[in-house]
Amino acid sequence: MHLKYESQLREPLVYGDKTYHQVTEDIVRPIEAKPTKLWYVGFFIAVALLMFGVYSVYREVTYGIGQWNLNKTIGWGWDITNFVWWVGIGHAGTLISAILLLFRQGWRTGVNRAAEAMTIFAVMCAGQFPIFHMGRVWMAFFVLPYPNTRGPLWTNFNSPLLWDVFAISTYFTVSLLFWYSGLLPDFATIRDRAKTKLRKYLYGVAAFGWTGSTKHWQRHESLSLVLAGLSTPLVLSVHTIVSFDFATSVIPGWHTTIFPPYFVAGAVFSGFAMVQSLMLILRKVFGMEDYITLGHIEAMNKVIVLTGSIVGCAYLTELFMGWYSQNKYEGYTFWYSRANLFSPYGWSYWGMMACNVISPQIFWFRKMRRNLFVTFFMSVIVNIGMWFERFVIIVTSLYRDYLPSSWSVYYSPTPWEMGFYLGTFGLFFTCFFLFAKYFPVIAVAEIKYVLKTSGESFKDGMDNIEEKGSEEFAHEYAH
Amino acid sequence: MSDKKYWQSFGELNNSEAYQQAAKDEFKEELPFESADNGFLQASTPRRDFLKYLGFSTAAAALAASCEMPVKKAIPFVNRPEDILPGVANYYATTYVQDGDVISVLAKVRDGRPIKIEGNTMSPITQGGTSARVQASVLELYDTARLRFPSIDNKEVTLEAIDKAVAQGLGGAVVILTSTVTSPTTKEVINQFLAKYPGSRHVQYDAVSYTGLLLANEATYGKRAIPTYRFDKAKAIVSIGADFLGTWLSPVEFAKQYSKGKKIDEKNPVMSKHIHFETVASTTGSNADDRFLHRPSEKGAVVLALYNAINGSGVSGISDAKLKAGIEQAAKVLSANKGAALVVSDSNDTNVQIVVNAINEALQAGGNTIDWSATYNYRQGVDADFAKLVEDMNAGSVNTLLVYGANPAYSWFDAKKFADALKKVKTTVSFNPKADETTQLCKFSIPDHHYLESWGDAEAKTGYFSLIQPTIHPLFKTRQWQDSLLKWSGSTTDYLGFVKAYWSAKLGGEAGWNKALQDGVIVPAEAPATGSAFNSAAVATATGAISSAKKSDGVELVLYQKVGVGDGQGAANPWLQEMPDPVTKATWDNYIIVSPAMAKSLLNIDLTNNGQADAYEVNPDKKVVRVTVNGKAPVELPVLIIPGTQANTIGIAVGYGRTPKVGKAAEGVGKNVYHLASLNGSAIDFTASNVKLELTGDKYPVALTQTHNIYDTSQGKRVEVMKELTLADFIKKPNEIREDREKELAPYGGLEKFEKQATIYPVYDRPGIKWGMSVDLNSCVGCGACVVACNAENNIPVVGKEEVARFHDMHWMRIDRYYSGDIDNPKVVFQPLMCQHCDNAPCENVCPVAATNHSSEGLNQMTYNRCIGTRYCANNCPFKVRRFNWADYTGADSFPDNQRDHISDVTMMMNDDLTRMVLNPDVTVRSRGVIEKCSFCVQRLQEGKLKAKKDSRPLNDSDVTTACAQACPTNAIVFGNANSTESAITKTRQENPQRLFISLEQLHVLPNVNYLAKVRNTVEEADVAGKKEAEHA
Repeated sequence: MHLKYESQLREPLVYGDKTYHQVTEDIVRPIEAKPTKLWYVGFFIAVALLMFGVYSVYREVTYGIGQWNLNKTIGWGWDITNFVWWVGIGHAGTLISAILLLFRQGWRTGVNRAAEAMTIFAVMCAGQFPIFHMGRVWMAFFVLPYPNTRGPLWTNFNSPLLWDVFAISTYFTVSLLFWYSGLLPDFATIRDRAKTKLRKYLYGVAAFGWTGSTKHWQRHESLSLVLAGLSTPLVLSVHTIVSFDFATSVIPGWHTTIFPPYFVAGAVFSGFAMVQSLMLILRKVFGMEDYITLGHIEAMNKVIVLTGSIVGCAYLTELFMGWYSQNKYEGYTFWYSRANLFSPYGWSYWGMMACNVISPQIFWFRKMRRNLFVTFFMSVIVNIGMWFERFVIIVTSLYRDYLPSSWSVYYSPTPWEMGFYLGTFGLFFTCFFLFAKYFPVIAVAEIKYVLKTSGESFKDGMDNIEEKGSEEFAHEYAH
Repeated sequence: MSDKKYWQSFGELNNSEAYQQAAKDEFKEELPFESADNGFLQASTPRRDFLKYLGFSTAAAALAASCEMPVKKAIPFVNRPEDILPGVANYYATTYVQDGDVISVLAKVRDGRPIKIEGNTMSPITQGGTSARVQASVLELYDTARLRFPSIDNKEVTLEAIDKAVAQGLGGAVVILTSTVTSPTTKEVINQFLAKYPGSRHVQYDAVSYTGLLLANEATYGKRAIPTYRFDKAKAIVSIGADFLGTWLSPVEFAKQYSKGKKIDEKNPVMSKHIHFETVASTTGSNADDRFLHRPSEKGAVVLALYNAINGSGVSGISDAKLKAGIEQAAKVLSANKGAALVVSDSNDTNVQIVVNAINEALQAGGNTIDWSATYNYRQGVDADFAKLVEDMNAGSVNTLLVYGANPAYSWFDAKKFADALKKVKTTVSFNPKADETTQLCKFSIPDHHYLESWGDAEAKTGYFSLIQPTIHPLFKTRQWQDSLLKWSGSTTDYLGFVKAYWSAKLGGEAGWNKALQDGVIVPAEAPATGSAFNSAAVATATGAISSAKKSDGVELVLYQKVGVGDGQGAANPWLQEMPDPVTKATWDNYIIVSPAMAKSLLNIDLTNNGQADAYEVNPDKKVVRVTVNGKAPVELPVLIIPGTQANTIGIAVGYGRTPKVGKAAEGVGKNVYHLASLNGSAIDFTASNVKLELTGDKYPVALTQTHNIYDTSQGKRVEVMKELTLADFIKKPNEIREDREKELAPYGGLEKFEKQATIYPVYDRPGIKWGMSVDLNSCVGCGACVVACNAENNIPVVGKEEVARFHDMHWMRIDRYYSGDIDNPKVVFQPLMCQHCDNAPCENVCPVAATNHSSEGLNQMTYNRCIGTRYCANNCPFKVRRFNWADYTGADSFPDNQRDHISDVTMMMNDDLTRMVLNPDVTVRSRGVIEKCSFCVQRLQEGKLKAKKDSRPLNDSDVTTACAQACPTNAIVFGNANSTESAITKTRQENPQRLFISLEQLHVLPNVNYLAKVRNTVEEADVAGKKEAEHA
């Protein structure tokens, strides 16, 4: 059904001369087999982290936000930093599944399932922060505009925080639907292969009665496209709205019109880095090297160097505007609180610069883009850098704003503040481990679309090249 | 026949064993489980027991659960007491008396509880002004550490028993040791008592005495008294160390007088000139037009040089060029204002004060700025008298010591000697209200009432009386100490009868007494100021003694008092402990104050280096230094760098390191440094030289509420935050500030159209009331009375030191303090900052649940029960005035009583049932997790509007005022309806168009608070001229 041209030069999207059956076997077997020891170790660590997070949040809810080191000047710190960071990470999944689907990027099929799962878990993690950063979390439902008995009392639609509520929940819902609709045929596959009754029943329920009829496929395709169309603007809107939390305020360092594109680029940047980290582990642990190939890794590294450079541009633009505007408050925030390495938080700004702008430039080199170790290392560095970016934006803007009298003492987190962050890692990986065990981590049905697009003829072609040497091949090819 | 037996079965007939068993069983049939396994009935909990257990445990659980429930007692009155209307406050005129301090006040009583102290505007001395300590005094009434009953050797006894026991011990030489007694009736009572026990005497002891001044006046004027000072009449004021706006003698009165000379009429700008010489930065020095620094040991030399300069012979003996120039300038200004000049000094050296008197004589101050027609009674103690008492006690010639108010076991420089001497006194009685250091050493304790429970009177200065009446029934088994004296001297009347008889006789009967009680004050007819004959004989000796005094080298130490804690009376008061010190902005500790120069050499911190300054500022942990003075017990304290301190001088506040028994608030707070003082002749010398300083290597957190102090940054001077200029500049170019504002706003339509043109949103009319506030930075002296008044009015929680150090302080209003100019001796400006009630408030539109919004009267309102605590509003407030309840500071939370390890003990104590009686019932106590902030005392506004409405008239200024405006001793804060043409706020704004500015005006947040720029009567340094040129270039 895919009448794509089989390129001789294009790398295959799936290595290893797989047959359709082999694909199913490779991907579904881990689900049917017992988990490995490594899985248990990882899962245990994740749950332990999650428990620590739950305890940290328990303390914060029972004893007050005073369990954190925020203060009268710095009202947001690690909480909102982590929120923005997780939301940012949650961008890659949708970008890969929706935008790349619309652009018909076949390579996305190898990574889209895990990336989407990552998106959903990341958004779940992100959601914890705006909820639990509230002083009275038990009143959190006040943010929902529902008909109530409190008379004309209604939410404040002017508040960017309220926009966040809608943006995040919409994004989460659409991403979840998109992800799940993609899972249906795969669940059906697992159901059909199931050997126990329970397994058959559970996956049967999950598959929503998928039979693989043409009508199903047709509807599935249409739904995917519609959801992709819905998600695409969301990719841009969610982080735009998150950036409004800052951009619409009056605080120097926040009140910046550059924020929406800068935040979106940063989100894609960090999201891809996170996908990289996870994919590299996943392909190793599950032996999926044939499906998640160096081609994928390289493509994603290209996105990383592009978006990293975009945020770099944004940083420089901010610095320029800090000087060009001749606004002394902004000037101070950008040039002293941030860019001065010897100011109290100078380290975080230069940490951000080093991680986000300088080090990703290494990916201009093809060798580096295809080096697994470098890629993994950089993916972690980028996520550290993006965490710094949010910390820089939030804390260095707040701690010294307009009135020098209210400039803050040094803010560093308490164990419980960090515990909440670690806890979201626990949540994320607990979900991810369960996902990796019980869900097909690669879209079985979708990968089969692209199985035949380039594989065989590439292999033949490459054999020729290897035999003849590259110059000879080039000569021949030119004729 | 009669015993014929009927039987139903053979079993019954035979009465077999099996039959007997069956008859006993409840069920005749075989029970199924019994046959299978007999275990059921043998189980440890058979059915009936199970039911018993169930019943018991249910009852126990219910009982236990209900015990946990707080039982709130609310008992309505059967018959309403006269004068008490629930929900309506009564005001009673009374008098705040704390040691020698006397301030006429009104006590606000709600439902029988005094909850707030206001100044009595009928008092000609304070004219309604208050101080932080006065404002905080109401909390002391409800202090959990107050002694609750009379005791002998710490065992509770009845009053009768203690009277009997003391009566046995009385006899021989009785000494009544008190702090300064200002009450005429108390003096009568004491005299009666002394007459009963011949050989007895009354010794007055002031922790920080004015011995030098008293003795100097005796030597030169023949009176051991302190004349009235008239700062309002002085056009030139020179103070040599006297912190007369903070702690010296009568700061509330002086602040009021002083501000009169500092208020500016824009059409005719004239100001008094205040030159201050000091050693360690003080509140008064910070307000001075010019400040010069000298070593403590140089004080005599400075006074002498000034004396010589005024007499026409040049300044000599001063090596420091700046100081020398300062003295010359002072002499010039003083000489030019003869008859309207005043010189004061805090020196406790009689010779120095004699020379000060001579200077004032030369300036013709007597009868002008110094009024001998009435003399102050605030401080009467002479240190030598007390030193002699200690000797007498040691010699065993004192049989009985009655202590009231004085606490020498804490505040005497040689406290151990006093304590040892006290052991040789047979009968020791303390009337102090708490188990302070001295009371702990006394056998008998009969705690006195709090002044709000007492009857009495006070004579602040000759002829100016103020009456004390109780506002609440005594809370504990306490007794006024005058009652004890009366009883022990055999009198049959009690003290109330005594006071009443005394005043009725003087005021013409009961009616006069009632009137005086209602007014609270008895004011003599206005008398013209008079001088006093000056005896110059002592001057020559004094100058000789001063000039022959040794010059000292090395580091010198000054012990000073803080505005809040004073000589130690405020140490147990959480409000005062948490009030940021005006000079250092520190709470909850004493510390060593050093100059930036010494910081560089001693601490290796260079404040001119941004990195080092930042590191010092952002970290509450300060380096600890060990101070050793002449082999006395060394003191280790953290160091704060305070510009405006002499380079080789350090300052440490007294009043700290109190015994924890005076209250939780004093526990572990600071160190006592009284022992570093010394007795020099007849007076205590609160300075020391040749002080050794060494770093211990430790660090200790100091809780500061403001860490950064200058408003110019490496990216430009933030003049939108603060505007100040010199009088000369102001006269030359009165509209400079207005032009600056005009220029700043020019791109947005200029001043006139700024509101409309700087926004894309529609602008609304604001009819009706529009609340506004104006703060005159010229009048504000930074004393902090408003901060404590706000605490009391608005139920602001005390959070404790650790929380303040984490920047979690909850004050709704703060006094920002900025430095400018020379880092070693900067100009200081204070800026009271509360919610600015912006008409275009950035906090309002960011709240997702609309918990903060704008009233039609211009108030930025906070709805606590709608707040979910996102803190977005606090982030988006450019003034950072919003406060978040980080923990359950008030005990109002939905999770009750879970904060024990998370908030300070002091905060827990503030939530005690007793302490909570101080809460204002008109103001919600905020729970954990919500934002709060200044409301412009909305409860008062509502009350005022209702009052006007009930009278069917428009609201006027007398109906409403905020707590801060009311407390202010200098009337720096004006509040009212800005839409009314009659109101003071409108007039203030109209009359001061040139000085008026709005903080961060360019943000277009449109605050309802405006400031009047600080004008300093000084010749500005060259750098300002340079700045002007740079601007024109």
